[in-house]
Amino acid sequence: MIDLRLGLKRIATPFFITILLVGNVAKAQDGQALFTQNCASCHAINKTLTGPALAGVESRWTSKELLHTWIKNWNKAVATGDPYAKQMAASTTNVMNTFENLGDAEIDAILAYIAKAPAAPAPGTATAVDPSGATYDESDNSILYGVLTLILAVIALVLLQVNSNLRKLTDDKEGVPSHEPIPFYRNKSYITLLTLILFVIGGYFTVKGAIGLGRNKDYQPEQPIYYSHKVHAGTNQISCLYCHGGAVEGKHANIPSVNTCMNCHMTINEYAGEKIYREDGKEVDGTAEIQKLYEYSGWDPVKREYGNNGKPVEWIKIHNLPDHVYFNHSQHTVAGKLACQTCHGNIQEMGEVKQFAELSMGWCVNCHRESKVDFVDSSGTSGNKFYSIYERYHNEIKSKKRDSVTVSDIGGIECQKCHY
Amino acid sequence: MKKVSIITVIVLGIVIWGCSDVKREPSRVYMPDMAYSRAYETYASTANLDSLGIQYTRQPVPGTIKRGELFPFAYAQDKAGDSTNYVLSKQVPNPIDSMQAVHMKEAERLYLVNCGICHGTKLDGNGPLYNAGNGPYAAAPKNLVTLDMPDGQMFYSITYGKGQMGPYGPQLSTTQRWMIINYIRAKQAEAKGGGATSTTAKAGDSTATIKAPADSTVKK
Repeated sequence: MIDLRLGLKRIATPFFITILLVGNVAKAQDGQALFTQNCASCHAINKTLTGPALAGVESRWTSKELLHTWIKNWNKAVATGDPYAKQMAASTTNVMNTFENLGDAEIDAILAYIAKAPAAPAPGTATAVDPSGATYDESDNSILYGVLTLILAVIALVLLQVNSNLRKLTDDKEGVPSHEPIPFYRNKSYITLLTLILFVIGGYFTVKGAIGLGRNKDYQPEQPIYYSHKVHAGTNQISCLYCHGGAVEGKHANIPSVNTCMNCHMTINEYAGEKIYREDGKEVDGTAEIQKLYEYSGWDPVKREYGNNGKPVEWIKIHNLPDHVYFNHSQHTVAGKLACQTCHGNIQEMGEVKQFAELSMGWCVNCHRESKVDFVDSSGTSGNKFYSIYERYHNEIKSKKRDSVTVSDIGGIECQKCHY
Repeated sequence: MKKVSIITVIVLGIVIWGCSDVKREPSRVYMPDMAYSRAYETYASTANLDSLGIQYTRQPVPGTIKRGELFPFAYAQDKAGDSTNYVLSKQVPNPIDSMQAVHMKEAERLYLVNCGICHGTKLDGNGPLYNAGNGPYAAAPKNLVTLDMPDGQMFYSITYGKGQMGPYGPQLSTTQRWMIINYIRAKQAEAKGGGATSTTAKAGDSTATIKAPADSTVKK
């Protein structure tokens, strides 16, 4: 039913629009198509790219004929001696292509499209931020449990007190000589109990702290530029390897240098996507963060050229292994065929990156025990040929004694594999 | 006494609620001399080396060629406003005549990682970043299926950038760039109808040695 309706809608909408705007629409669409085909690589309407922004281009030229001449072959327009044509030719080092193949009607269609296109929204018109919109899911119940425990402890204390008072009353009634009541902080059994409890709690925290030494799960430092993996790898679907190409080539995945950022950000100079927030709930101005990138790269967005004042961005490395551990990315991504997310978590959903895995030795060894290697199967056709040297395992697979080989089987938990 | 304890509980409660669970600082380490490298690791600051006269981050000597790598491109980048080398690059022949299927697959991977984001997975100039003008990238990427450009000039454009496109020389090796050009050519032939298989079939005829794609036999 829904499909049918959607289908009808899809057919009906353009149909009605065509009826309403018979003559105009065809021409405007032509203009848009022609603009995209011929001009959009270098020109945008409201933004200076390789060529200048084209909004209001007709009003800048003295005559329409001259503009047509310029578009077809700008050399001829300069040859006429028109001062504006000369000024345009001198204004940039980028040389415009010639478009002799475009007819006057087509150029008119393009110009009509440019004239009709909506103007850029004025800065500051963005809708106001609704702070209440940012809701945070409190799934941590430890505080609740703590409060409950405290209340129960208080009740138990009160009951104990009541109990001792009642006993004192009955003793008095029955004439049993009662000894002086001892305050609870001098009562030996209370003191023993308290000491024991403190000892257990203290021991728990000491052991936990000792194990946690050098471990950085959830480490999430504030970076010099708010770079959102969610926007880049998630929304815009940029491959991890575009920036971290080293992950399949060597030990390090590599932090990209600024020129990799500038491949796209020479053109993308503002952020207009969904609102982004820091971990503490503060909103991030994406456009301002891109400006920071321009400062680091030395790129002048107005003149559109690099200065000599570029400096590297000092990103803070999050995933650190101690010096006595060897880890190689390519070994895991190429031979092991692991996805980035296996160890780095859902990186495409992280605004600010945090360490997902524990990166402890137990964590490494556990994975090496469980992961199966791409062993050559019994027919010998598929699988990684490198493992063909493990003859015994092959024979065992052939005789059905084992069905798979794990990383630990081929020496994956030998000490020297990672520590040497 | 009672008042004091109530106030203490309230203050403690506020402190606990106020604590952020965002871990901005790294933990302490056990035996720092084993945890932190004394050698200069990849992302360590080398600022103090420069003052000692040790140039650690210099480029290799001009003309250095990696083992198994194709010869570097003969033309340097034009100065702004000049197009001499861009025009001259038309004459540079493609050193890779044909590629085996396994290399074509690697070339496809390289294309999808580095180029597809703008030029589109179908090479139609409509990748997710441009998205028919609705994406964040304002300039229209070239449609590579219909692109009529000599191989050498394509190599020049990939290496040094063209228009809004950035230079990919720093990201892709010489061989990888030529492989991508061959991949684009194969796709163009495919779009024209057939012909793609002939470029990938003959393995023995290859006049150039192509570095095998990242092999799974890598052992530490």
